[in-house]
Amino acid sequence: MKESNIELLSPAGSFEAMQAAINAGADAIYFGVEQLNMRTRSANSFSISDLAEISRVCKKNAVKAYITLNTVMYEHDMNLLHTILEEVKKQGIDAVIAADFAVIEYCSQLKIPLHISTQANVSNIEAVQFFSRFADVVVLARELTLKQVEHISKEIKRRNIRGVSGELIKIELFVHGALCMAVSGKCYLSLHTQNASANRGACLQNCRRTYTVKDTETNEELLIDNEYIMSPKDLCTIDLVDQLIASGVNVFKIEGRSKGADYVHTVTECYREAIEAVQNNDYNSDKIKIWMDRLTKVYNRGFWEGYYLGRKLGEWTSNPGSIAEERKIYLGKSTNYYPKIKVGEFLLDSGTLKEGDTIMVVGPAIGMAKEKMETLIVNGKQAEMANKGDKITFPFPSKLTAQDKLYKIVKQ
Amino acid sequence: MPKIIHYRDKCIGCGVCFEMQPELWRMSKKDGKATLLHAVVKKNIHILPLNNSFEITGREVVKACPVNIIKIQ
Repeated sequence: MKESNIELLSPAGSFEAMQAAINAGADAIYFGVEQLNMRTRSANSFSISDLAEISRVCKKNAVKAYITLNTVMYEHDMNLLHTILEEVKKQGIDAVIAADFAVIEYCSQLKIPLHISTQANVSNIEAVQFFSRFADVVVLARELTLKQVEHISKEIKRRNIRGVSGELIKIELFVHGALCMAVSGKCYLSLHTQNASANRGACLQNCRRTYTVKDTETNEELLIDNEYIMSPKDLCTIDLVDQLIASGVNVFKIEGRSKGADYVHTVTECYREAIEAVQNNDYNSDKIKIWMDRLTKVYNRGFWEGYYLGRKLGEWTSNPGSIAEERKIYLGKSTNYYPKIKVGEFLLDSGTLKEGDTIMVVGPAIGMAKEKMETLIVNGKQAEMANKGDKITFPFPSKLTAQDKLYKIVKQ
Repeated sequence: MPKIIHYRDKCIGCGVCFEMQPELWRMSKKDGKATLLHAVVKKNIHILPLNNSFEITGREVVKACPVNIIKIQ
């Protein structure tokens, strides 16, 4: 394969998720600050004061950092927007992801690299040409087919459409994660029912609930075959990675700023391996099956390949939430670390842990680490089981702090 | 007298409170969030005794806030 230089872009809704993305092989991460991003309600956003640390960690790991400023912007947001952008410039955040023209204008003035958000629903080459005056990367609408994507990427080369940096405009595509029942960003369900605008990051996900249809004359409730008639399954393209690369996509984007470090780690790792497999001519159905198994273990509503193969939205989930095969149970926080012998100590705040259980440690400096508890040391002695209040110790390669949390992984 | 309470940290700056009851609210030009006028601030929770004449609309504002961070007690 000639097409190399695929950038894998992972979501970072927290320092834990950011570190997990870095460890799992992301080339870049994206995140939001304050209230001007599309996950204002669901993720604990970073604040402006976190920009320095995000920049420091990403630069140290040679990973690019992009900030999302992609909500609808009002007049009263302009000062905050300016403050954020000045800090973005100062801290050397690599680019801004935006759709509102105010953000585009300010970035242009401040000479901050810009990526056009999927919220702009770019669906044709003329739109790409228009945005090339301001941006270097365009995130295409999630509703396109691969043929349409391929046409756009070919036309970029044929017309030699270059972005602000002087390089050919890059195409970014969502490859994995939640899908919207509406054209991305054009949904007002949440606004109409609960006054909570999805376009200000406050989506209440009405589409993810069950509904009955009632005949008001007879009061009869109509049965609907699929209970979750508006909740699409999640996008998964792990079996299309070769086709995506061949269509000329430059950046693979993973959705999920509301998701935990374990999710980000697993999904990033699978797509990293898949991209490398395609580039090494080693991408095959056995590998796809293994990646698929791993992806079904973390949060998902069931998978389909989105609109890329020309299918209509008809893949509705039959579940209210995740059908992940595994889930995590919180056990406790780290209480000590012995650096000479590289052993970590955790106090169990809740739950129990048995020999042979799989544990997961999540923290801002380590991201996510999983391992099987072959031998369990409880309060300094080998034991078969640990209970609430017990201190357990096990070898761990890197320093632990009180911010590092211990979970156990159980099958659903 | 009832009090109106605004948990300002979680405000997403949608502006609905200001639209509905401009007598009590302003959109901050500084950080884009809503500000409860003349409120006393304790640990970033903004509290204002609510005059009877503002109560009916005040309760509508409570219902309208998309992130449920306005209360009347």
